[in-house]
Amino acid sequence: VSSSSRYLLCASGDFVKVYSVATEETLQLMGGHADRVTGIQLNPHNHMQLYSSSLDGSIKLWDFMDGIAIKTFTVGSKLMALYAPPDFEDSVFVVTPKSADRDPFQLVSVKLTKAAGQDVEAKELSVVLSGVNASPKCIAFGREGKYVASVKQFELCVYFFKNKLAQRFSLRPSKANGGSNHFTCVTCHPMEDCIATGHADGKIRVWYANFHHRKDYTYSTLHWHHDTVMDLAYSVEGTYLLSGGVEAVLVVWPNESDCQRDFLPRLGSPIEHISMSADGSQCCTLHTDNRITIISSNLRFSKSIQGLIKSSNIKTGLVVDPRTKALVLNGEPGHLQFYCLQTDQQLFSLDIVQRTYIHQAGLHQTDLVKVAFGAQGKWLATVEEREEVADPELQLKLWYYNEETQSFKLNTRINTPHEDHITDMCFREMDELEDDSLILVTTGKDCVFKVWLMVENTDPEAQQRVSWSCDFVGSYHNYQATNCCFSEDGSLLAVSFEETVTVWDSVTWDLKCTFCCPPGKIRNICFGRLTCSKYLIGATDYGFLCCWNLLSCALEWSAHLNILVLQPDPLSEYIAAVSWLPTGSSLFVFKPNEAQPVYIQRNFCKQKIQLAAFVPRDEPEMVSSEKYLWLRRSQLFFLTKTQELMTLSAKSLEERLTPASKQLAVEESLPVTPFSLLLGKHRRRPSQENTDLGNRVVQNKHEQESPAVRELLHTPAHVLPSASFLCSMFINSLLISKENKSAEEVADEVEMESEQAEDDSDEEGGVTEMEQDDPSPVESLGELPCKLTKSQERELRKIRKVDYSWIAAF
Amino acid sequence: VHRVRFFGLVPAGVRCLAYQARGARLALARTDGAVEIYNFGANYFQEKVIPGHETRSVEALCWAAGDRLFGAGLSGDIVEYDLARLSVSHSVDGCGGPIWSMEANRSGTQLAIGCEDGSVKLFQVVPDGIQFERNLDRRKGRILCLSWHPSGSHIVAGSINIFRVLDVSSGLTVQTVMVNCRVQKVKRECVVWSIAFLSSGTVITSDSFGRVQFWDWEKGTVQESYTVSTSAALSMAVSESEDSLIVGTSSGTTHQLQLLPVKMDSQEKRWVRTKPFQYHTHDVRAVAHSPTALISGGLDAQLVIRPLMEKVNKKNYDVALRKFTFPHRRLVSCARKARLLLFQFSQHLELWRLGSTEETGKDGEVLPLCRMPEHLVQLKSKGPEHISCSCVSPCGSWIAYSTASRFHLCRVQCEGNTISVKKV
Repeated sequence: VSSSSRYLLCASGDFVKVYSVATEETLQLMGGHADRVTGIQLNPHNHMQLYSSSLDGSIKLWDFMDGIAIKTFTVGSKLMALYAPPDFEDSVFVVTPKSADRDPFQLVSVKLTKAAGQDVEAKELSVVLSGVNASPKCIAFGREGKYVASVKQFELCVYFFKNKLAQRFSLRPSKANGGSNHFTCVTCHPMEDCIATGHADGKIRVWYANFHHRKDYTYSTLHWHHDTVMDLAYSVEGTYLLSGGVEAVLVVWPNESDCQRDFLPRLGSPIEHISMSADGSQCCTLHTDNRITIISSNLRFSKSIQGLIKSSNIKTGLVVDPRTKALVLNGEPGHLQFYCLQTDQQLFSLDIVQRTYIHQAGLHQTDLVKVAFGAQGKWLATVEEREEVADPELQLKLWYYNEETQSFKLNTRINTPHEDHITDMCFREMDELEDDSLILVTTGKDCVFKVWLMVENTDPEAQQRVSWSCDFVGSYHNYQATNCCFSEDGSLLAVSFEETVTVWDSVTWDLKCTFCCPPGKIRNICFGRLTCSKYLIGATDYGFLCCWNLLSCALEWSAHLNILVLQPDPLSEYIAAVSWLPTGSSLFVFKPNEAQPVYIQRNFCKQKIQLAAFVPRDEPEMVSSEKYLWLRRSQLFFLTKTQELMTLSAKSLEERLTPASKQLAVEESLPVTPFSLLLGKHRRRPSQENTDLGNRVVQNKHEQESPAVRELLHTPAHVLPSASFLCSMFINSLLISKENKSAEEVADEVEMESEQAEDDSDEEGGVTEMEQDDPSPVESLGELPCKLTKSQERELRKIRKVDYSWIAAF
Repeated sequence: VHRVRFFGLVPAGVRCLAYQARGARLALARTDGAVEIYNFGANYFQEKVIPGHETRSVEALCWAAGDRLFGAGLSGDIVEYDLARLSVSHSVDGCGGPIWSMEANRSGTQLAIGCEDGSVKLFQVVPDGIQFERNLDRRKGRILCLSWHPSGSHIVAGSINIFRVLDVSSGLTVQTVMVNCRVQKVKRECVVWSIAFLSSGTVITSDSFGRVQFWDWEKGTVQESYTVSTSAALSMAVSESEDSLIVGTSSGTTHQLQLLPVKMDSQEKRWVRTKPFQYHTHDVRAVAHSPTALISGGLDAQLVIRPLMEKVNKKNYDVALRKFTFPHRRLVSCARKARLLLFQFSQHLELWRLGSTEETGKDGEVLPLCRMPEHLVQLKSKGPEHISCSCVSPCGSWIAYSTASRFHLCRVQCEGNTISVKKV
């Protein structure tokens, strides 16, 4: 958190993100590192600058307000963590791997040379401590940079810079109560000689001042967490200690004698990192599910910045909400997240399971496994199950979108829809919005597929008009049903039963035909769209992609590919298939009527692609080359095993990043200074004076077009003229202009300025008086009566200055 | 090997402790009035045991004038123990009802006692006993604890809801401090169980709300307050260097608080709660602080000596944690030929015959008994004094026991199923 606690800085992949604390918006995305950013630290000598370290072996100095990399210091080896304590003149500390050693990591001090140029090689390195932990949480710098504390396994090591002496304190390993007591994190008191360490068994040990004597050390133990303490942070003054762990509870330990500890519970997911802002007004916690929570100093939840929530296992697949075009997938445990791709923000999180999540290892939790949208997002079907090996607890829920509340409302809950796990689920999408044509099909491992229909409630007391019930149960030779899919017009349903694909008539539920592709079970099936709707595509376990013609009931073509993901584009006839080989994932885009792919991208990702989805674009994009024609209508997104969301784009990275980096919200980034308060007052006044709505519009316009103020704020300080020159211009801009300013007056404005500069000594009083006098006619008459010319006005002012005190004598 | 599970000895709980820094000795009083002396220099050896007395309960112990040990109790008497003869040498009536607390000043020349009637009395230690010196200001409420200022100028006395500071030279109460403030709504009385006066003028109290509080006695304000337990903090002891203290609570935990410098080279110091220990199962009624160890004794009759690792230079036997659970004296004597066991209780003796078996077996096997152990005789001693030692002859026909003042010898005659005991 930046020193004014207006910006939140966060290392994210190869980038450093700058968020506004007030609006949660991403202000800057600073890219430039070639590998993962491992540490960011504010420059202690300039609070507008930021150091970042990366695995690519460089330290960069940024101006995070403008998103400019000022300098790059090349260190060479991988940097695992970065520390910039304020008491070291021009050096920072990094953790680097040692070349082939028993203790693989060492803490190194890097002297940042003042040499000119953007790219500087940092050569002056000196090893401070060897055998440290690579995690950034395992090293902390003490008060005034006097010592550095490092923890590893069962040992706390305190190194004093003054006498270059390291003290080591070790704990006796204990396995009591299940958890080992090794160190997990360390932090130092900012004012006192006091070190707090977190342990894997949930204890926090606070080591006191005497640790510079090997013999005479002492510590006290704080214990609340039941599992590993993930991170610790002291408040700015060191009056309290914050700790967080897997319980998703932020615990406040007061340093003062008789205060009780305080808690902020229900933060959603395990706390990974805690950070305090420099002025102590905010604290933020980073969670394992890719979320930042901002907490105000009175321990109230204030805001949360969340992108794509990382869940333990994505079972629902990537689904696109037809209404919002958001990606829908597993979010928090038992929740469905709606993730907006354009803004990288979570739209909302729908609680499906509606049960309290208990953080405990080995506990079987109810989780969401399948999701399907129907009827242009009007209906949502979800399946949840509890991981029980023998007898899974299943529930099918149908949600109706309520236009008034703008959210999904539970309509029907079906317990145990299938005897065994549900493998797939789909709605029949029809163009006409007739409710009764909506059909839901679920396939299960209990060897049947079931068709669910909406029925009218005959019971007059029923709360809902319609509810869902089972209409048809189909099976095929007692094989497990694995996938289902409706054709585009909804007339045909394809259900795959292990090695066989069956095609059913969706009106009469007759088995029309079967397709078989002998070696291997069917993984995925889908129908072709638009011009290719007569084709059915299937991918099998042993690496075959088959395309059947539904009219001739014959195999059209097949290809030998180990397809993991098969995803048709809803707006075109293109189908994307992702294949996996140990060397990486490859993408094939094809039309079902041609055996030759339209587009091939080999080994575009080292990781296994788990899921993919086509997200329709708001407006078709202009695509330059023939090769990328399939990207015109929709965009393809992939999710990898490590839950990284990727997309393919025809444009280069820089092109896409530029608009984001240009937006710099000047208005809201104004610091609260007496100057800005004055400006705020100046802006507010007009709206107070005017009761008339029409006038206010005029006033607002005036407020925007006060060019002097804007000029003053937007021009960089070093190109501004001297303050004495600006002063009169600024004072002038504060004057309330007359609403019916004549055209010639506008032209004369410059002249008027110079006049005022001439005799501003005696004019000063006049100006203030004018401001006070002005409002009264506005209020009484509604519009300005005076149409005085400039000369008349000056005349009037002179009259006012004339001494009429002699009248009093009479 | 006989498995003897019929010795139903209930050990008496530890009531108070007094540590003598110079001789490295610890005096311990149990709830039955027995006083034990442990010698820390000689591997924590239990040197002496002064057997208890029915009418004499010990509430407070203190060392004064060198090696002289004084005790006071609810009988209202102050007694001096003769450590050579293991008996009471002098006894003086305190004239203030039951005595709850007693403390000697640092030089050991004066004793202050706190009585039931709310008075604090000073006694002078003279070569042949003690002599009443004066009464200090008397207020209502029993004095549960008191402490001398190291300079001997003031005494702080803890009572219910308040503690008072008394000036020794004038005998007047110079400060009265209410301790039950800051406890919302609950109209419970706050008992100051233990109190200490530091040379800096800080008064430390431990009370029934489980708090340890540090007071500025002149201003009467709290400096720091630590809630160490939800139950009462019954006992507290400060080390002689005044940088560490130990608190015992009624939940069986003991806590150490230490005075630590805030910064490495600064003078500013602060009390910090450092280590909690849980060695006892019941109330910790008495604690003491030796230079190298924390000593605690509880109603569960255990004496625990926890050495402070950082104060010990090298690893030796002193570093080990000591727990005295079993009595150090011989309470069981065995008549080998007659297969009899004599058990010694505080006021009676029990004679048992061991069980016997006819079967044989290997090591570790449990053999079935053909004759169960048999309780033959219970011998009650007369008078208020407790039995100090006992013995049975190898043939099993003679039993001898003694109290502090008398020696008894009995003859046991066993004829078939009838047993007769004859006093000799």
